[in-house]
Amino acid sequence: MTDDSGSIRERGSAALDRLVDATAAERITISLASLLFAIIVGAVLVFVSGFVADCADPFIYLPGLGYGCYNPLEVYWTMLTGSFGSMTVIGQTLLQTTLLLFTGLSVAVAFRAGLFNIGTQGQMVLGALATALVVLELAAYVPDNAIGMVIVLSTGVIVGAIVGGFWGMIPGLMKAYANAHEVITTIMLNFVAIGIAFWLVQVHVGDLTTDSVQTETVPAVARFPATISGSRFSVIALIGALLVAAGIYLLYTRTVIGYDLRTSGIQETAAEYGGVNAKRNIVTSMTLSGVLGGIAGAIYVMMVQYRWQAGIPPLGFDGIAVSILAGNNPVGVIPAALLFGSLKTGSVAVDLSLGVPGELVEVLRGLIILFIAMPEFFRMIGKRFGYGNGSVATDGGEAQ
Amino acid sequence: MNAPSLTRRQGLVIGVILFGLLTLGLIIDGGRQLISDVTGVLSVSYLTSAIRLTVPIAFAAMGGIFAEKTGVINIGLEGLLIIGAFGAVASLYALSATPIGANIWLAFVLAILASTFVALLFAIVCIEFKADQIIAGLAVWLIALGFAPFASIIIWSRTSSPSVGTFSTVSIPGLAALPSIGPLFEATPPVFLLALAVPFSWYLLNRTTFGMWIEASGEDPKSLDTAGVDVRKVRYAGVLLSGVYCGIGGAGLALNTGQFVGSGDTMIDGRGWIGLTAYLIGNYNPVGAFLASFLFAGLDALQLQLQQIAGYDVSSTLVEIIPYVAVLVVLTFVGRTRMPSAAGEHYESDE
Repeated sequence: MTDDSGSIRERGSAALDRLVDATAAERITISLASLLFAIIVGAVLVFVSGFVADCADPFIYLPGLGYGCYNPLEVYWTMLTGSFGSMTVIGQTLLQTTLLLFTGLSVAVAFRAGLFNIGTQGQMVLGALATALVVLELAAYVPDNAIGMVIVLSTGVIVGAIVGGFWGMIPGLMKAYANAHEVITTIMLNFVAIGIAFWLVQVHVGDLTTDSVQTETVPAVARFPATISGSRFSVIALIGALLVAAGIYLLYTRTVIGYDLRTSGIQETAAEYGGVNAKRNIVTSMTLSGVLGGIAGAIYVMMVQYRWQAGIPPLGFDGIAVSILAGNNPVGVIPAALLFGSLKTGSVAVDLSLGVPGELVEVLRGLIILFIAMPEFFRMIGKRFGYGNGSVATDGGEAQ
Repeated sequence: MNAPSLTRRQGLVIGVILFGLLTLGLIIDGGRQLISDVTGVLSVSYLTSAIRLTVPIAFAAMGGIFAEKTGVINIGLEGLLIIGAFGAVASLYALSATPIGANIWLAFVLAILASTFVALLFAIVCIEFKADQIIAGLAVWLIALGFAPFASIIIWSRTSSPSVGTFSTVSIPGLAALPSIGPLFEATPPVFLLALAVPFSWYLLNRTTFGMWIEASGEDPKSLDTAGVDVRKVRYAGVLLSGVYCGIGGAGLALNTGQFVGSGDTMIDGRGWIGLTAYLIGNYNPVGAFLASFLFAGLDALQLQLQQIAGYDVSSTLVEIIPYVAVLVVLTFVGRTRMPSAAGEHYESDE
């Protein structure tokens, strides 16, 4: 009974290996191609939905089909101007980018170790709640000035990191010592985390004077100072996120610890032979992943929402897309997070000015993940158009 | 052969659930009074509502078994349920504008086709393009989670549909007239479909050649190939079956309430994931998966009834996380679920 599970891990890791170890050029090509295909499929979806939707001035008439409301090119153009067109929206884009950097890095850190952490969302939600509660308490005891702000903000981030890390450690322990598949456990822990947080806030620690499930609003001393007017974005948080990305890159490329973390998840047996405590390293990787998810939650409370409120956006799931798009490379996460940050911000403009539902971004997110999951698809296309190389034959990919 | 571990698992699940209920009893005021009210709530009407809530979970669970037994792990069950539910309501809404009229059975079939079509795409992605099944399954869920509210806004200008009509209750002549247990035989068609699907699925898996192929495709595809059976086709069949089952489950849920709700996690609200936990706890046995689904749905119904009848302020949130906690406990302490040994692997025929 136990032997099977062991071999499943090896096999699952082989699949992850392919994703992680593809050459950089290949990875970037696949990411860009996936992005392109997702945009094309999204454009078709938008175009077709235009014929179902009602609107005052349609942009096209097709005989037999009727009036089409949405012009895909206009949608994507609006998305671009809506995310970079003014200082305010640039602020919003960078705000989303900052959060996505943390959730994307959270997923990437686990992926690097051959572990698929779908639980970033739950780690973020609990980290955010812990941060909100602690800074609400702490703010009363610190001076209302820059020193007080430094104390509160750094404490808030640390608390979020600890709680997120704890919640990430649980699936790590389950994986290392009970061989429970981390994909299943992290999904389940998301629901548990969100349920517990909701219940705590609704019944015990929330602002009981309102009907909405939320905590009280944190005071100014617990808010990241806004950099751009009209947006809550703070460049301090962004710089922090970039430093963390660089730090993780160095950890994995320049240190022995990083090397051990990576091999422990992917080649547990080999790592053990090499005298590494692979089980402990699996727990460490998942904890580190949770820490980053928790920090995302802390930043969310102290820079975006200024309180914990039920229905935190699915930044953890966006993080999966960011990490996969980046080839799980901590440096690649930076442009990927910027891309998703602009998609999320731009979708607001698309919704407001063109009436195309903002959920479009969620569809695009799913499509990007789907296309990246099938590199073979692009190899087949490449082969058909004569760009194939020798590796296609050994992969046995035969166009059907 | 799975019998001993099945019983142990289910024993444990019951233990976890009882523990959860006990905790609830301590958390809310008047816990002792609650215990007696719980027994008062357990009636035939409770059972019927529990069975109704079982429909989407159990269908998703059985669908998941078929896919995974052939070797394709389908964690997109939640997404397929969403497509089924949305497809049913959207079809019924669209049909009412055509000369055909709002034919609920036609809408039901269209919803199943929609879900099966998405499952087919998933199968192509996994089998032809050798995608990572976990990531592709996740993508199916995320796409459905975005697409259903997107399309709802396009059609109805908001994330939820208006009421479109529901399945009417069917009663089995004779049995429905029985004293006290009669109401159990008055239900909507999806409930009866579930009653048929559980033994059918068990029979299909355990007593037919096709069932043997499914087993072999997930356990030892090489031998199956050697025996002259096309592993690819068997895997396609398994994934398509999961699409059909999820279509029935999702459409059954939506056509019971007569409305599609697309806000938040949509009206499916994690039932696909609970289905996944149900078949893990039921150890890939359709009957076990059904029992686990019924237990989880029964808990949900219990919480609803307690609030309605006894006027308790039971935290629905805490009741809702019990299935997830249960599966975590099972995976961690009872031992590994025995996955088909070739699940998640691509199979390359030598020919």
